[in-house]
Amino acid sequence: MILELLSAGLVISACLAIFLDEAVYSVVALAGTFFLTSMLYALSGSIFAAVFQFAVGAGTLAILFLSGEMLSETPVKVPQKTLLSLVAVGVLLSLPAVFLSISDQATIFSGITFEEALWDLRAIDVVLQGFVIMTVALGIVIILHEKRKGGK
Amino acid sequence: MDYVILSLVLLAIGIYGLLTKRDLLKVFVSVELIATAATMNFVMLVPSLGKGLGEAFLVLAFATDTCVSGVILALLVIVHKKYGTSDISDLVKNEENKKDEVEA
Repeated sequence: MILELLSAGLVISACLAIFLDEAVYSVVALAGTFFLTSMLYALSGSIFAAVFQFAVGAGTLAILFLSGEMLSETPVKVPQKTLLSLVAVGVLLSLPAVFLSISDQATIFSGITFEEALWDLRAIDVVLQGFVIMTVALGIVIILHEKRKGGK
Repeated sequence: MDYVILSLVLLAIGIYGLLTKRDLLKVFVSVELIATAATMNFVMLVPSLGKGLGEAFLVLAFATDTCVSGVILALLVIVHKKYGTSDISDLVKNEENKKDEVEA
């Protein structure tokens, strides 16, 4: 029952995040989405995923709040009717997730450790992601260097 | 309750936002929702893939998601600083006006 309620709340907060006009409210709704997702993972036994989701969500939201505050213009008051209709749409959208189900899949890879999976099966992905992150970091360093040079 | 359907619903909301919203911050929120839907699929697949492989997929998904968020946020701030707006329609209008001025 708790999982169903959490999933309904998740869909409602996702709807609010998309449809609310004010940037800060939208970010608050997104924070709700992240928190509920993390709770959902934790309650279904995936503590590893829950911790990761919570950490990534917290980092993203801290920056989003700043940029949302920076980018938002005059606050818009949301009519009560619109808010209620958004919640109703969210509840309706979450109904299939609560009542429908898809049959479980067969076990394919069992007994593989995390290290084996990361380095033996997905080694190229890991290396490429490291390369992408390094390129981004280098790009930032070069841009800051050029800016400094230009400033002088 | 089924996570596949829940992630599909989240994906649909994200894609709807991506296609209809003109504000860059909303586009970012939509991308985050799509990423959450994808991650939820990985979490759901953990029992059938084996714990290690599922967690590896999850780590990769989170890393990609964080990189994408960083790049989109950087673009958002740069665009807002340069043009004073984060609305895609206004940005397109600005560019068209600039082109017209150059042609004239």
